[in-house]
Amino acid sequence: MAKRIGGAGKSGGGDSNILAWISNSEIVSQGRRAAGDAVGVSKKLIWSTGKAAWIAGTTFLILVVPLIIEMDREAQLNEIDLQQASLLGAPASPVQRGM
Amino acid sequence: MADLFPPLATAQIDAKTKVDEKVDYSNLPCPVPYEELHREAIMTLKADNFEGLRFDFSKGLSQKFSLSHSVMMGPTEVPSQSPDTTIKIPTAHYEFGANYYDPKLVLMGRVMTDGRLNARVKADLTDKLILKANALLTNEPHMSHAMFNFDYMGSDYRAQLQLGNSALIGATYIQSVTPRLSLGGEVFWAGVPRKSGIGYAARYETDKMVATAQVASIGSLSMNYVQKISDKVSLATDFVYNYFSRDVAASVGYDYILRQSRVRGKIDSNGVASALLEERLSMGLNFLLSAELDHKKKDYKFGFGLTVGQ
Repeated sequence: MAKRIGGAGKSGGGDSNILAWISNSEIVSQGRRAAGDAVGVSKKLIWSTGKAAWIAGTTFLILVVPLIIEMDREAQLNEIDLQQASLLGAPASPVQRGM
Repeated sequence: MADLFPPLATAQIDAKTKVDEKVDYSNLPCPVPYEELHREAIMTLKADNFEGLRFDFSKGLSQKFSLSHSVMMGPTEVPSQSPDTTIKIPTAHYEFGANYYDPKLVLMGRVMTDGRLNARVKADLTDKLILKANALLTNEPHMSHAMFNFDYMGSDYRAQLQLGNSALIGATYIQSVTPRLSLGGEVFWAGVPRKSGIGYAARYETDKMVATAQVASIGSLSMNYVQKISDKVSLATDFVYNYFSRDVAASVGYDYILRQSRVRGKIDSNGVASALLEERLSMGLNFLLSAELDHKKKDYKFGFGLTVGQ
């Protein structure tokens, strides 16, 4: 940092002095620190969200997906039964099954 | 696998017979046995998840006599020093069993290749008194045990006397108080690790739900609740607390019985999600898929199996 300020000072011009002054100022360094902190926190946040999503996703895959597939198959079977019943001409009563 | 469909059906018939417009206290129904108080919750929440391969074959030789063969392959956990890690060693077992079923007498025998032998007898001595005996012989010392239970079934109560080796004596009693509520108690005394205890239990059931609570002087409190959404779907939850070790565990699960399959799933407070799918491929051929995820220990168990026969 000091090197850059020195280099800028040699080439002359009040601009670089102002730039150096700005970059050394309290607000900028605070901002830089805050940005660093924000990056750290958001990294942690993203990581833990990812972990939570992984746990929720795998749990869903284990607990819910098989159930959905089986219920879908059940619905298909019931539909086939109903079709067969109507094809055979039997009166398709709505209370044919327990469900 | 034998208990895939019938027990729930019988439980429902039990519940259906309890038609009560006016409470007749001299004609209360017989309560469920004390050790089967939370059978609905157990059926939903305690699916026997396994890891690896399982193959079960049973063949009836005559109407009453049947033989069974089963093969299990896969890793089994061995206890390790640190609780966070599990050590698994691959094992394979073959189990041979012979069963004799008669309405009055049931005999079951099982032999495993690791040297365990299990024998069970259930005999109806009279139509009210039932004798149950269970013996387990192992090649490890002090692990073999035997147990005799005498069950007496009254009109609105059940009593049981338990006698086991190493001087174990126990008794349970359960009484129907109203058509829906039954209360029970137990005492036991064990001679070898000198210990005795007393416990109480309550069970409340309607056609739609079952709630039970049980406390014992060894410090355990367990409660469970089963809601029957329809005769094929039930939801269950349980809560177990130990006063001395301060262990708390709760779990919630579902049980779906469909025409071709049965799905049971559970998630508990230790971060373990498990599911068991039993699919009927054709008559007498069942396919099992088991999964268990332990997110905390990062221990994932998967298993598949086939059941042939019955």
